[in-house]
Amino acid sequence: MYPKIIIEHFMHPKNVGRLENPSNIGTYETLSKAKAVFYFLIEDDIVKDIKYQVAGCPYAIAVGSILSEYAKGKRIFELAKINKKFLEKYFPVDEDKEECINLPLRAFLNGLSKI
Amino acid sequence: MNTIIYLDNASTTPTDKRVIKKMLPFFSENFANPATKWTSSLSKLVDEEVEQARLNIAKLLGADPDEIFFTSGGTESDNTALKGIAFKHHDRGNEIISIPIEHEAVLKSLETLEGFGFKIKFARVDSKGFVDPEEIKRLITKKTILVSIMHANNEIGTIEPIEEIGKICRERDIYFHTDAVQTVGHIPINVKSFNVDLLSLSAHKFYGPKGVGAIYVRKGVKVKPFMDGGGQEKGIRSGTLNTTGIIGLGEAARLASEEMEQTESDVKKMRDLLWDKIQKQIPKVYLNGAEIDSRLSNNLNIIIKGIRNEPLLVALNERGVIAGGGSACAAGSKYPSHVLKSIGVKDNDIFGALRITIGKFNKIEYVDYVVQSLNEIVNSLRDLSPFWEGE
Repeated sequence: MYPKIIIEHFMHPKNVGRLENPSNIGTYETLSKAKAVFYFLIEDDIVKDIKYQVAGCPYAIAVGSILSEYAKGKRIFELAKINKKFLEKYFPVDEDKEECINLPLRAFLNGLSKI
Repeated sequence: MNTIIYLDNASTTPTDKRVIKKMLPFFSENFANPATKWTSSLSKLVDEEVEQARLNIAKLLGADPDEIFFTSGGTESDNTALKGIAFKHHDRGNEIISIPIEHEAVLKSLETLEGFGFKIKFARVDSKGFVDPEEIKRLITKKTILVSIMHANNEIGTIEPIEEIGKICRERDIYFHTDAVQTVGHIPINVKSFNVDLLSLSAHKFYGPKGVGAIYVRKGVKVKPFMDGGGQEKGIRSGTLNTTGIIGLGEAARLASEEMEQTESDVKKMRDLLWDKIQKQIPKVYLNGAEIDSRLSNNLNIIIKGIRNEPLLVALNERGVIAGGGSACAAGSKYPSHVLKSIGVKDNDIFGALRITIGKFNKIEYVDYVVQSLNEIVNSLRDLSPFWEGE
């Protein structure tokens, strides 16, 4: 079963949905048709608002929620440094679930770079 | 809700308490090895119970007791049937016919046999999962030695036309094996009218214990033993008998013979109610496989558009409802269900497949709770999904 924090975020994900007028959109899709999309409203290099959607496993959904919570109000150069190690501060990253974590992480980072 | 609502009975069933009661004395009170029945009174008693179990299974299948051999379960029975026939009768030919929606125990055994030079031919199944007996007929050549077609599919519950295929094989003197792991103890089986030469069954799929099963081998049919050893089970399956497991299997078979009809009707009633309510309350949900009335009565396999099944299963589990996915599924899963793929379900939909399989211990009054939970979870997962565009 999943770590508690994953279940918490999975059962009550934050910032779910789409933004009306995003300045940036980041997407990532796997071969097995799992998909994550992040919508950013970035002003003066700061994330003013963020929403996301994931069709993927509970890990992917929870990581999307954790990332979206963390990103609000942060500077994008700071966020661009986020990697697997950063997420390991929140929960143990199981090798089997690496791809599931990669899915929202890549979509998130893709969104930051499209400025 | 604190109660666990277990709706994954095709995966395994809880052991019936009456079965456990029957097994218990044979762990420590009478633990004897039936192999020494001629010299030990203790062994003789165990042997009698083992033989009673054999008789109970034979009755359930319409077979003779000396055609039943105990194994460790469905996987071993499938391996014994396929490899046992192939290696014993390779001088008659090297072709084996099967279908792509078989259980892995059959598919992987066939893969192994391919490595030994056997030629494996797969008959197509249609969008409901049915194989056409005429296609089996077309695939048969002089080199065909074995046909292996499952009785019912474990994911979508499609019941294959076993009797017709059996007849085709018998007329041509070709061995016919069926994996009946999903049907034994659930629907009537008669190996004689089915013209089956070999049949696999597993105890834990019909309220018996795990780790025990049996294979029916028709009188006169020779198979090469899978394991070398002390020659138990007339040499077909060496190894000290799993007496407690076998006695449990026998009791499960006895109970199934008596109660199958009632269980079947109760299970069908609950399954039909569940499907009816799901269709009424949740939009864009579709049935995978055969029509609701021409599949196993316990089986519901559905596609829920726009979502993936793993978060659905985890969220259901959080609400005390345990169901199955029909496929291992993670965001990066590389293993979509081979069954759903074979019947032409699109990848995107395969990952959203939900399998609900009802058992005799499920209570029909939980249907409303299950459908309500499912509805709420599906709604929130659809809100989360970039694939969901609404109704």
